[in-house]
Amino acid sequence: MDLLEPTRQAFALLLAGDPRLLGAIWLSLWVSAAAIAIVSPPSIALGFLLAKKRFPGQRSLVVLVQALLSFPTVVIGLLIYLLLSRRGPLGALELLFTPTAIMIGYMLIAFPILVVFTISAVQGADPRIYETARALGAGRVRASLTTLREVRFGVLAAVVNGFGRVVSEVGCAIMVGGNIEGLTRNIPTAIALETTKGEFAQGIALGMVLMAVALGVNVLLAALQGEGGLR
Amino acid sequence: MSAPLLRVAGLRKDFGSRRLLDIEHLDIEAGGAYVLTGANGSGKTTLMRILAGLEPAQVRAFEFGGAPVALAPYPEALRRAIVYVHQQPYVFHTSLRHNIEYGLRCRSVPAAERARRVAAAIAWAGLGGRVATPPAKMSGGEKQRAALARARALQPELLLLDEPTASLDRDGRAQTLALLAQLRDERRSVLVACHDQEVITLEGFRRLHLEDGRIAPQSG
Repeated sequence: MDLLEPTRQAFALLLAGDPRLLGAIWLSLWVSAAAIAIVSPPSIALGFLLAKKRFPGQRSLVVLVQALLSFPTVVIGLLIYLLLSRRGPLGALELLFTPTAIMIGYMLIAFPILVVFTISAVQGADPRIYETARALGAGRVRASLTTLREVRFGVLAAVVNGFGRVVSEVGCAIMVGGNIEGLTRNIPTAIALETTKGEFAQGIALGMVLMAVALGVNVLLAALQGEGGLR
Repeated sequence: MSAPLLRVAGLRKDFGSRRLLDIEHLDIEAGGAYVLTGANGSGKTTLMRILAGLEPAQVRAFEFGGAPVALAPYPEALRRAIVYVHQQPYVFHTSLRHNIEYGLRCRSVPAAERARRVAAAIAWAGLGGRVATPPAKMSGGEKQRAALARARALQPELLLLDEPTASLDRDGRAQTLALLAQLRDERRSVLVACHDQEVITLEGFRRLHLEDGRIAPQSG
């Protein structure tokens, strides 16, 4: 197969600002960003608690969250589909095949990533951070927030990884979004569709955008971590 | 005679079957400077951590400022009156100013007063030339001085300093010793755990010696 011509066409589409392309890119970015913004605070808080607190069942909870990491995203999509379908318990909300449905799926996919990365960051933190904060008069909440601030690069890595995972996710987005052009078609679902149609130029263009986004957020993370390393 | 600043009776701390601390009586007078000596593993750090509320222990009676205090749970008011500084202090990865300001913010000290105390603390510790230096890039001696300044700025009723001169080079030790002498001259109540002969023999510091879990005053 000749890759050169579709790649040339892909660049032409991107440079021309093809509205279908831009629509899918915009949807991918805002739905992913919104999902991460909503799910991050509770996930980071839970990760902190699981790392710092000892309580009955804590270990089992950590194992369960870790297991969720390898949960197939299509199964998450299926669960949400069943919940949101017309006959499902949340069918009355009429969210199926909307960006909100995709966002819910993304939140569930990102949740274990954020929790597990936060656990790792907090467990690796110097125990003197929390103690110093407490010794200086901070209450438990302030001392916990101080600890999170001190391990902010680890927590930021959690957020970036969560974003990277959902922005390229396809199975759940197709199931609960329906891949409707102009409404729920995002980068990965558009790539899947265009490729099956033989429209390689669209697929390559979107793939390049997706790779640029992934590269961009990781470069940003590396830059921030580099700055942290110079502290 | 007025009541001591801190009075502890019947303090016990066990690690498994081993009783590390079995202190029948300990008084710290207001404005008094003390050194706490004892062999490695004798429980100096543990005792300080218990007094600072960072470690639980069995305590029969605890008085602070003449008033009885229940230690379980450790009262937040006491946490603000007694400030503990680790042997190797942790300085937050922000700025020197923010580090010193941290405890003042916890105490809701007004901004103008915070700024005044931060400036005074930086000058006291001789860190005026290091304000722009990220704390992680400071030397061990500078970090120790920053931690002492951070604790002193809070004007605590009792300062607990854990081996402040350990693992410092000669210059760092000399600067820290000078700050300890200043704390004594300012009549701050301070308890310093240490092995360092130069600290132990600092004029005006009373010596408490920890051995077999018990504490005894020593001369010199």
